[in-house]
Amino acid sequence: MPLEILLIMVVSGVSLVILILHLSGRSAQTVLSPEDARSAWHRHFPDDDVRQILVAENTHAALVQTDTGTGLLWSFGADTVARHLIDFDVMETPKGLRLDFHDFGTPGVSLTLAPPERARWQQLMTSP
Amino acid sequence: MSNTISYPDVTQYAVPFFIAAILAEFLWIAIKGRGGRYETRDSLTSLIMGAGSVAVGLVLGFIAWGFFMLLWRLTPLDMGTSIWAIVACFVLDDLRYYWVHRFGHRVRWVWASHVNHHSSQHYNLTTALRQTWTDTFTFMMVVRAPLVLIGFHPALVLFVGGINLVYQFWIHTEAIGKMPRWFEAVMNTPSHHRAHHGRNPRYLDCNYAGVFIIWDKMFGTFVPEQEDDRVDYGLVHNIGSFNPLRVAFHEWVGIFRDVTQPGITLKQRLLYAFAPPGYSHDGSRDTSATIKAKHLARNPQDRGTPGFEQHSDPA
Repeated sequence: MPLEILLIMVVSGVSLVILILHLSGRSAQTVLSPEDARSAWHRHFPDDDVRQILVAENTHAALVQTDTGTGLLWSFGADTVARHLIDFDVMETPKGLRLDFHDFGTPGVSLTLAPPERARWQQLMTSP
Repeated sequence: MSNTISYPDVTQYAVPFFIAAILAEFLWIAIKGRGGRYETRDSLTSLIMGAGSVAVGLVLGFIAWGFFMLLWRLTPLDMGTSIWAIVACFVLDDLRYYWVHRFGHRVRWVWASHVNHHSSQHYNLTTALRQTWTDTFTFMMVVRAPLVLIGFHPALVLFVGGINLVYQFWIHTEAIGKMPRWFEAVMNTPSHHRAHHGRNPRYLDCNYAGVFIIWDKMFGTFVPEQEDDRVDYGLVHNIGSFNPLRVAFHEWVGIFRDVTQPGITLKQRLLYAFAPPGYSHDGSRDTSATIKAKHLARNPQDRGTPGFEQHSDPA
């Protein structure tokens, strides 16, 4: 098959699929309730004993206190990703907090947090 | 012995069918309200991975082709190009696929290439196209060498391999429940392959088949999809990036970091590269075996059920 034909088919096909998905509402971030967050955390870390959950006001992230320490769960498209907060850096941003995990596959996450939430979250993240 | 045989690149000719089928599956899900999920960025990543895989094949394909043609010049055998030769080559190549795929889950060096295919938390027809960019660097082309050495022309070997991949496209869907029993008994199906994509402890390291599920039944790796254990798609530790470069290379970076860390022996460095995924010199990570054992410790009632026949509690 001529390369230019292949290229046109791939670019136009991918664009069409993505446009349809976006216009039909498939770009929405998943919303977390405390129970959703608990269930999602157990999905990622089934051995953990979850003790406390704090869901962000925008419902796209949750701080999770477990028997092994503090963890962060956040919306990842229609799904979630979770990490124990062990090796990370945290910094303030205009919209909330930015965490860097020193992990090539999961480099970090930007959290949108209301001003009153920020200090509380930062304290919980860094307290032993 | 002929060097001028050529076959069409079926994966390239299938591109319009892939796009049409993805749109059809999405419409089916949207209309019926069941049969799977789509997410924009997840699908975009999968489609870019697929396009990138074709591009890498165009750029690096000469390496495998040169290797196979070298073997072809060495072998005195020629199976020809009859329909029976094509059928025999297809079946034997599917056996080749089974073992390469099994290595892809049990040897971290090969898993580093294959992991991207499992990195989506979705399971739809775009997931089928989330293909590797780094296959050449696994050197798994050597598993195809016997096919050439027994007399199948390299062009035929690559042709049947392409048909094998195109077959596997349609089984990446939740829109199809189960096929007729005779079909489920012999062929790889959406149900069997859903189980393969599961991150549930039960489904780890099962159903490596490409076209014929009989290989898994022969070699003891078959686990049927269970109605009471719904498949949870993705990786044991899901990655948090839609960036195709991170999806393609994250496990290679992980290997590099593990192998070059200070204070471990040469044997431990080699095990970080070639042992099953999850190996760690200090036992701080879980392999599929320890994940299954921990699951059984929490759920002893699952002992002896499919996927847990040969596992014991953690020591």
